[in-house]
This record gives sequence, structure tokens and C-alpha cells, in this order.
Amino acid sequence: MLSEPEKKLFEAIVSARRERRPRAPLAQSLGVDLAGAYRVQAAAFAGHELVGYKLGLVSAAKQRQMGLDSPIYGRVTRAMLREGTVSLAEFVQPRVEPELAVVLRDAVPPGAPPGAVSLAIGAVFLGIDLLDSVWEGYRFSAPDVVADNASGGAFFLGERALPWPVDGELALYLDSELVAAGPVAALEPVAARVAWLASAVGGLCAGQVVFLGSPAAAAPARPGLLELRGPGGSLLLARLEA
Amino acid sequence: MADHVVTLDVDSLAKQLEAALVTRQPIPPLTETLGPLTPEQAYAIQTRWTELRVAAGERIVGRKIGLTSRAMQEQLGVREPDYGSLWGSRYFPASGHRVEIPSDLLIQPRLEGEIAFLIGRRLQGPGVTLQHVLAATEAVALSVEVVDSRIEAWRIKLADTIADDASFGAFTVGPWSRTLLQEDLRTLGMIIQKNGVPATEGIGAAALGHPARCVAWLANKLAEFGVALEPGDIVLSGSLARALPAEPGDTFVVELHSQPPLTVRFV
Repeated sequence: MLSEPEKKLFEAIVSARRERRPRAPLAQSLGVDLAGAYRVQAAAFAGHELVGYKLGLVSAAKQRQMGLDSPIYGRVTRAMLREGTVSLAEFVQPRVEPELAVVLRDAVPPGAPPGAVSLAIGAVFLGIDLLDSVWEGYRFSAPDVVADNASGGAFFLGERALPWPVDGELALYLDSELVAAGPVAALEPVAARVAWLASAVGGLCAGQVVFLGSPAAAAPARPGLLELRGPGGSLLLARLEA
Repeated sequence: MADHVVTLDVDSLAKQLEAALVTRQPIPPLTETLGPLTPEQAYAIQTRWTELRVAAGERIVGRKIGLTSRAMQEQLGVREPDYGSLWGSRYFPASGHRVEIPSDLLIQPRLEGEIAFLIGRRLQGPGVTLQHVLAATEAVALSVEVVDSRIEAWRIKLADTIADDASFGAFTVGPWSRTLLQEDLRTLGMIIQKNGVPATEGIGAAALGHPARCVAWLANKLAEFGVALEPGDIVLSGSLARALPAEPGDTFVVELHSQPPLTVRFV
């Protein structure tokens, strides 16, 4: 059950998405805290089958800036996983981030030790997070972004299981212009992050995907060919349309 | 049509296929003898045949996926692959990267080069993606499937091959590799030489664009029958090149990028 302020936040997000119109953040003025924001997020996905989660605000610097001491998470549904071409007209304020994602081959219960989490990781893939915040200019407090599903919009996944662990860089090009790049090392320690998520959400299931966050700031999306290059010559292509 | 469904004698048709297998006397296409059959009816015949074989001591060691190339789909006028069971009695393990296939078990064999998946975790559709497949796979290997048809002169329509265990004949696999699993399976190149002469080339992407996509299709298809891919199952994901007719005395060398070549001799 949502409190009255949580309901207001929920409705503001729903209407902003429906009208595809960004709006000013309001969690603070409503007095909704982080726990309330996660309740708002959960309410938005009641009845949806979750294929996984995304981690956000994974850098310590970003967390400090937002007054957090951990990452945040958002939910990923089957409909959010895309292949090929996506129309930007579906989104409010689309941005793109280069990411890695893990797909679990075993369940990860809350409190699982990092070694068990490492064993449960079935494969690591390149990922592109097509972020979409309803909060104007992506200026938000932690409860705002959490209530808005950690700015989750749509996702692309690579088709090659990457050698792991691996060093290297993620470099995201949009029509051959480098728009975001950063080291894979910035996403470490992967097992500890997945373990944190498992505890935060009450356990992860075999087959679920976890987008690990981005080692670089998001870039504005525009129509064109997205090309993500990663370790070992790996490649992920996606097309953005108007 | 409804009556047709009810009166289809899957048991007798399965026994005809078994008799053709054992006597090596192919039968006319079921779709000529019986008229049009739906894929569902054809799978019912296949399932019954599998049950009969298992009852007689056969072991199902995995699955094969067929009709994964655009060329094969166009030839049969279909837009979907099909699948069959891999029989333990028709698994010929390689020794020192060599294997002999007894021709006297086969009717009209053809050789295909494929990528085999060793399933490590249960894959239960619907909703299985190629990433799920890669995450749940223990290792992959170069494999050779000998396809064969219990239907006269390979005069098959879709329902004929489905009923006929997707034209499965025999198979072998090279060494299981975890390293190969982390390659881009789409770009793996394959060359098959027949009697020392290059005969055909293939590439991973020839199977529905990605061999793991074929396995995902299979997991989702099997879910329609309440069946999952289980740990230990071997899945032959689909031919990467043209099938090559094989006669007694023929020697094929099948090479896949980074893997030891596999020599297959028909005796």
C-alpha cells in the first residue's frame, strides 16, 4: 500500500510518461524517502514478469553526490529488452550508456557470499542502457530517480558471452562519434554488486539479467546507429529511429 | 479435418518409420500416403516413435535442430526450424579426433557440420533468449551430424521430416570447449573436405543468425509440450553449411575455427 505522498509521486511519473513530458522532481517536496521511492517503483511493476534488474549510480563519486552509500536498482521487464531498432518517440528524455550485463545460471539468495555469486554468473554480455528519466534534465534526488525505476527505459544485450574476468574499455559510438567511454574496471567488483542487489530485492532467480551500470556519463540519444565496442573485439549494434 | 486428426494412427505410422529404419527400406512420403499433415500431427508421430524406441531400450541423449538455414527453409516452404531427438545408439564418439560411421546402419546419409551445445542448467521456455542459452551452456563443440531419411529419395515435406525424427541419422562431437563458448559464435568459420577436396564452407551465422538462437527456439518450442532442456543434454544447433551425400569409403574432414579437425570415415 502506498501512502498519499507516494501515490502522488506514482501518479506524477505515470502521467509524465503517458504525455511524454518531463517535469520537475517532487519527491523531496512530498517528503518521500528512499524506502517510499522503492515502494512507488514496485507499484509501477505490480503484475509484470521481471526478467532482471539494472544497477544505477554505481560510482562512489555519484553516490556521494546523491547522498547515498550504495547503488540504486531498477526493474527490467521483457518488453524493455530490445533488439535491432528502437524508436526514440517512445521515450521522454532518452540517453544512452555503455554497460555490461550478467545473466545468472543459478539463483542468488539474499546474503549469498561473493564466491557463490561468482559461480552463479552464467555469462557476461555487452549491454546498452537506453535511459529515460521523467525528471527534467535528469536533475533529481535519489528518491525521485528510484521511484522512476532508476531511469530505466530500454536495453540491448550483446550476443557473445565475454571472456570473464577481463580488462578493457567500453566505447559507445553514435553514428561513428564517440559519445561515452570508460574502463570495465569501474564496474568491479561485479560479484559484490550482484550480491548487494540480491539482498536488496530478496533474491535473484536463475535466468535473470543484471545490468551492471555504466563506467561513463550517459550521452543524449538521437537517431542513428549505436555501436558499442568492448573487450576482446566484442560488438553490439542497435539502431535508434526518430 | 477434425476427423482426420482423430483417425490419424500415430502408433502404426511410428512403427512404419521404425521398420524403415531397421530394414533400411525407405517408405513413401507420409504426406503423399496420408495427404497433408500439420506439424502438430507430425510431432505426435515423432513422439510416439521416440516412446517406442525408448521402450525398446533406446536412450535420448539430447536434441537436434533442423531447417535452421534460410536455404533449407525456402526449399521446404517453411519459416521455422524443426527438431528431433538424438539417440544414444547413434552416437559415435571420436577417438583421437577420428570417428568411423557404419554405413550399414544408414539408408541415404548426408553429412552436416554443426555447433553442439552441452546444456549445464535447465532451460525451460517460454521466454528463453539466446543470452539465457549462453549463460546455461556448459561448453560447446564442433559436431558432425549424419542426417538420413526413412522417406524415399529424401522426397520430404515439412511434416515428413518432423515425423521422421527431423531426419536424424547419427552424430559425433569434438572435444567440449569452454573457450569456444566465449567466442563470437556467429563468425566461426567451418570448412568440410570430402576425400581431400574442399566441398563446402559454412559460418555460425548460417543457423538463424546465431547458433544459440536456434537452441533458444528449441527451448521455447519444447515448452509447448511441457518439456525442458535438461543439464547434460546435447543439442546440435543446426547445419552451418550444405549437407554432403556420404557413401561407404568416403572420408570427411570437418574444421571449425580454433578447434581440432574432426575426421569422419564412412565404413
